[in-house]
Amino acid sequence: MIRAKMNKAFLKIFGKEEWYLVTIPVFLILLSFIVAAIIIIFLGKNPFLAFYNLLQGSGLAPKPAYGGHKSMLTDFLSLLNYMTPMIFASLSVAIALKGGLFNIGVSGQMLFGGFFATILVGYSGLDWAIAKPLVLIVGIIGGAIIGGLIGLLKHKFNINEVVSSIMFNYIIQYVFSFFIHGYYIDPVSRQSKYISDASRLTLVNVQMFNLKMDLSIGFIIAIILAIAVKVFLDKSRLGFEIKAVGANHKGANYAGINVGRTRVLTMLISGAFAGLAGVTYYLGYFASIQPRVLPSMGFDAIAVALLGNLHSYGIIAASFIISIIDKGSTYMSSKAGVRQEIASVITALILLFSACSVYVQHKIQSKKDNLEYKARKEIK
Amino acid sequence: MSEYIVEMKNITKRFPGVVANDDITIQIKKGEIYSILGENGAGKSTLMSMLFGMYEPDQGEIWIRGEKVNIKSPNQATKLNIGMVHQHFKLVRNYTVTENIILGIEPIKRYGGLFPYVNLNQAAKDIAKLSKRYGLEVDPNKKIEDINVSLQQRVEIIKMLYREAEILIFDEPTAVLTPQEVEFLLKIIEELRNGGKTIILITHKLEEVKKVADRCAILNKGRLVSVLDVKDTSTKTMANLMVGREVSFEVAKKPSTFGEVVLKVENLWIRNQDNFDIVKGVSFNIRKGEIFAIAGVSGNGQIEIADAIAGLRKISQGNIYLNGKNIKDLTIRDRIEMGISYIPEDRQDVGLILDFSLAENLSLKDYYKKPFNENGFLNRKVINDYGAQLIEKYDIRSGQGIKTQVRSMSGGNQQKAIIGREIELESSLMIFVQPTRGLDIGAIENIQKMILEERDKGKAILLISLELDEIMSISDTIGVIYNGEILKIQATQSLSINEVGEFMMGVKYDD
Repeated sequence: MIRAKMNKAFLKIFGKEEWYLVTIPVFLILLSFIVAAIIIIFLGKNPFLAFYNLLQGSGLAPKPAYGGHKSMLTDFLSLLNYMTPMIFASLSVAIALKGGLFNIGVSGQMLFGGFFATILVGYSGLDWAIAKPLVLIVGIIGGAIIGGLIGLLKHKFNINEVVSSIMFNYIIQYVFSFFIHGYYIDPVSRQSKYISDASRLTLVNVQMFNLKMDLSIGFIIAIILAIAVKVFLDKSRLGFEIKAVGANHKGANYAGINVGRTRVLTMLISGAFAGLAGVTYYLGYFASIQPRVLPSMGFDAIAVALLGNLHSYGIIAASFIISIIDKGSTYMSSKAGVRQEIASVITALILLFSACSVYVQHKIQSKKDNLEYKARKEIK
Repeated sequence: MSEYIVEMKNITKRFPGVVANDDITIQIKKGEIYSILGENGAGKSTLMSMLFGMYEPDQGEIWIRGEKVNIKSPNQATKLNIGMVHQHFKLVRNYTVTENIILGIEPIKRYGGLFPYVNLNQAAKDIAKLSKRYGLEVDPNKKIEDINVSLQQRVEIIKMLYREAEILIFDEPTAVLTPQEVEFLLKIIEELRNGGKTIILITHKLEEVKKVADRCAILNKGRLVSVLDVKDTSTKTMANLMVGREVSFEVAKKPSTFGEVVLKVENLWIRNQDNFDIVKGVSFNIRKGEIFAIAGVSGNGQIEIADAIAGLRKISQGNIYLNGKNIKDLTIRDRIEMGISYIPEDRQDVGLILDFSLAENLSLKDYYKKPFNENGFLNRKVINDYGAQLIEKYDIRSGQGIKTQVRSMSGGNQQKAIIGREIELESSLMIFVQPTRGLDIGAIENIQKMILEERDKGKAILLISLELDEIMSISDTIGVIYNGEILKIQATQSLSINEVGEFMMGVKYDD
């Protein structure tokens, strides 16, 4: 009897079936925070304080004191700035996955787009009205070249995209590192030289209300493109073909869809988004490139895309949550004394739990079936 | 000791959304052939899978030899001397017969009492002894991939016997065999019974039950309808109980009138991935208003011919003419537009995109045309209206109409959706591969009627089926394929089912 009641209560949490897409991830995220809280308690710290610090650090809750020209708003804008490449990178992963391809090379494609935008536009001294759009275009083309190449290798030579994209990651990482060290290095920072402000996709230190704010142009583009991706996948002919190839390539081939061509196009688009992630990362959030390092964001994006259910709005929400944790972790470690690595643990927990979403859905369904079956039996 | 060797009491098994077995009780005596009869989806295989430990029942008990047991895995079932021949054989293709049989229970010997090794010689001897005793001759040193389906089945049977199985479960054993091979298998089954084994025969073929079974349990939609003594019951009664209504076996067929040639296949050669010629110089014509059936044992190249005509598979030599035009170099989509409809063998993996909605699947071959597609964007309203129209016209049943995910639909309705979509293409050639496989009697009747209607509309139809009864009852011309060659092309009326069966096994006559 108690069991039946618990089952009913369990089902009630998730509400109607249409809402599962939202309620299940929210449930899992809460669950991961509970587990994270337990870990923090074991470390002898106050988990609520730590979580509150995360919000403070990312501009969602007020800090007790701010430096000159800083406030909660500037922290929040900085969060959006950080979140921008995350959205692009996750969209890149999501598009590829919709087409049945696993683009694990987002990091390499980011670096490829970012590097060329840096040397071609970032150091050019062009006027901002030309430089900023040009940065975007170079990023898109750069990412698309690598993405398309990976697609082409799969189509022509049946080379698994996972293998080729990992190889491209290495090639890009070390070849560009060589060029940065050889030609573009800043001897003080040991990074590539700073790009011109005119070419940067984030407007830095904008003076308003007596505050110095970082305004991300990329963020607005990211939101617009996220919506565009949704429309593209839901409504366009090519989107339909990409999804068909992803869901069942044999069936798509049978229906007359050119599977090889569709795959190349899928990777081309996915790569273009990775390129956009690259320019908003290297020429937006940062203004230089750290050599010999691939952005870990390209890998985190895989998890973010999955957490967001490969859905545009889900990806925006997931990027937001993961960015809060990333961004707030510095403040958390300085205030609560919880080490920054714990933030990564929380992120990892969220991703781990969100990987269980299919299991939870299955569990709900079988509990439902059981209840219905019993109800029918009783009527009999 | 109870008189029953197997008792399954009040078994209930649920899968998400369906009750596969609803409170079923059966009792099987030692040394009888007990048949489980029912349509596809009636729950026969599920019931027996629980006896073999592949599933556990949600409710109910299983008793073996008067003792309550809890069978959690096939290994446990084997220990209880239960064996099962699955519909799809579980053999390692590049292992020899002997290796397959001993896999998992290898006889071990030690060199000098120290180093263990598998005693293949001993195993081969044991196997030879077993196969002689029951008339199951196989060459123990041949690899599985080199022997035909009926021999592979024998290997499966020997595998059970080698594990000293007393209760033998056969899951649709005749589905892949020619009529002659079926005869032989039924004899073996009787032989096994006479040797004291208990046989459980899962099938939906009434003649087999009538021929060999002592008793049969009839299942319908997960419920046990009746348990009958086979010798006192007519086939007709069994059929009616199985389907739950009156059925007729006759297909109403109008006399045929052939028009001009639509499809002309000339000296077709096809090579498979292993660079092996799987189709060798096949030629045939199909005329308007003709149902041309290719009969043959599975794996003799018939599927490859269908794929080649539709453009899904490359050919190595030969020509394919559709309405006089050579189409061998055209893309799949070009061929569809030239007038080829194709109902593929694998409806779930090829014919449909299971994660897409019913409406999307119904316009899977039209979505890129106007008015479905305007300037690169799909018109959902057109797609939905078209879907609704086809659902109505072809009586496709589903949970939520056009929005239903095709994955959740029954096999029969999935097939109706494909056939409806393909008929609406109004192609001059329609290729049907195994159109009724795995469907229940109602759906089979329905689909065969549709095929005949298309014929009467003047379409050329290529039918590839492993069900010889189906070929005999609806085709106009039969081409029998064996080992990649068509041995015989002849009008259906002038052939008997046994003659076709002989050609299927490669017997050639010089006439």
